[in-house]
Amino acid sequence: MSSKNKALPKGVSAGDFDQALREIRAIVGDEHVQIEDEQLAPYNKIMMPVPDAQHAPSAAVTPDGVEQIQRIMKVANKYRVPVYPISTGKNLGYGSAAPVQRGQIVMDLRRMNRILEVDADLCTALVEPGVTYQQLYDYLQEHKLPLWFSCPAPSAIAGPVGNMVDRGVGYTPYGEHFMFSCGMEVVLADGQVLRTGMGAMENSNTWQVFKWGYGPTLDGMFTQSNYGVVTKMGMWLMPAPPDFRPFCIQYPNETDITKIVEALRPLRIAMVIPNAVVIAHTLWEAPCTPVKRADYFTGPGAIPDEAVKKIQADHNIGAWNVYAGLYGTKETNDANWKIIEAVAAGTGGKIITQEQSKGSQALQYRFDLMKGKPNLGEFGLYNWRGGGGSIWFAPVSQAKGSETLKQMKMAKDILGKYGFDYVGEFIVGWRDMHHVIDLLYDRSDETQTKNAYACYDELLHTFAKEGYGMYRANTAFAEKVAATYGPVKRDVEKRLKKALDPNNIIAPGRCGISL
Amino acid sequence: MHARRFAVCLGSVAVLVAAGGAQAAWRDGGEAYEKVCRYCHEANVGPVLKGRALPAEYIQRVVRMGNRAMPAFRRSEIDDATLADVARRISTSAALARE
Repeated sequence: MSSKNKALPKGVSAGDFDQALREIRAIVGDEHVQIEDEQLAPYNKIMMPVPDAQHAPSAAVTPDGVEQIQRIMKVANKYRVPVYPISTGKNLGYGSAAPVQRGQIVMDLRRMNRILEVDADLCTALVEPGVTYQQLYDYLQEHKLPLWFSCPAPSAIAGPVGNMVDRGVGYTPYGEHFMFSCGMEVVLADGQVLRTGMGAMENSNTWQVFKWGYGPTLDGMFTQSNYGVVTKMGMWLMPAPPDFRPFCIQYPNETDITKIVEALRPLRIAMVIPNAVVIAHTLWEAPCTPVKRADYFTGPGAIPDEAVKKIQADHNIGAWNVYAGLYGTKETNDANWKIIEAVAAGTGGKIITQEQSKGSQALQYRFDLMKGKPNLGEFGLYNWRGGGGSIWFAPVSQAKGSETLKQMKMAKDILGKYGFDYVGEFIVGWRDMHHVIDLLYDRSDETQTKNAYACYDELLHTFAKEGYGMYRANTAFAEKVAATYGPVKRDVEKRLKKALDPNNIIAPGRCGISL
Repeated sequence: MHARRFAVCLGSVAVLVAAGGAQAAWRDGGEAYEKVCRYCHEANVGPVLKGRALPAEYIQRVVRMGNRAMPAFRRSEIDDATLADVARRISTSAALARE
């Protein structure tokens, strides 16, 4: 097929594009270059409130190794054709597998799915970008290795490299994923291969155990950026604890968030609770239970508070539902359990233990995630409004009760104004909270789609005015989110881009970075 | 005590597992269904597919194109032959046993 009707990259002629593809075909083989509309369709399935065409790829290439990527970089430079690397491409609601700008060639690394090494003594792994959490889980199970990892909710189909590179989070004590990565291999735009940290040294055997190496630590530069193609990543694994005790504490009122955070923060900072505590709102729990929205509200606009109260009563769901776990030995967990019981009693919360959780779908998927067991239970969220529209609005907050209540009210007001429900949770990092809101809308409904875009825009700018920034954002809003972080940071990012990728060929526009 | 228990827990496993770098591939459509599809389509998230005699072509198309919240799956995730096997198995399967 000729490129005549394709979504060509900006500023690239059809002739140059065709020639570049011919050369890329020679590198990876014909069957690993896709250009037909039908082949490209799965790369263009997005949940964002913008037209598909805005994120349509011109082609997709699926290399099978570092050497092929190095050669593709040379072709991309020669013809100034931008490539958009993805790993598993399942960052749903953040952009999925679609390129940040129309016409970019998706460089799909999913075929590179080798688990290169697992060291059971040091509890480390070295994996390629195409490895999924499910694959790693199966590997550890098959080899009877009592090691756990932390994964995000779409764990069965997402993977550790992509998630860490996007600075995603999970639910075990290793839940701040980038913090528990150790060593990267990166193909740079000029084709050189950089290994970060100790990996830069030939014959080093400490790449996966010591993060810093000598001189500046570079790993962070390759997260939420477009300075290179990450082709390997080290990660730390957690020894399976002899005793794991997950629990949920339910609270009856929205305003309880203040005392919940004040009571739990000290336990989290002191690591009595070692994992990322999640504080989930009723409307996050309801779709995953599952509760049907239409059974409680069919009118236009956001679901009223009275209907939310009724859902809580009918399905034994709290206004807030706190999820956390104790990880240790029976003795240590027995001692810490007394602290948890005292905190719940002192704050008016109702504890649900693993034994009491049987039969509850919402509790089960959470408890599984807290031990790094992959599932897709959280996709129940998408049934709430239906229609396949989702934008993650994810501002960072201090782990202080007054801040969380303020953010929740701000978000709920703005969402309500546009007719959307507050479907949110707070994930307690260590001293921060990721306030994660799923702006759910029906993407087949033009008005809802338009409103969703306007709503996110207002959320973003209202929160930024109050000094609240996003920890992560979808590709349609990358530029706007980057702008909220001020001009100096962006200038430095641009200068780095110019130094490392002067022809602007790796994912220009990703996180707002471009020349 | 605490540290010793953890050490004992790990003491019996292999010192180093080198996976050898083999690429992973689906054994067959049954494995792909078990490791991916089932998480939604037998868990009250997506509609139940088994026992409905859905046309295999339709299943393959929805997997490749996605449908509303159903994500699309690329050839790099599931090759055409494995997908055809998934579709055939679903299409000809008996209904799920009711709990």
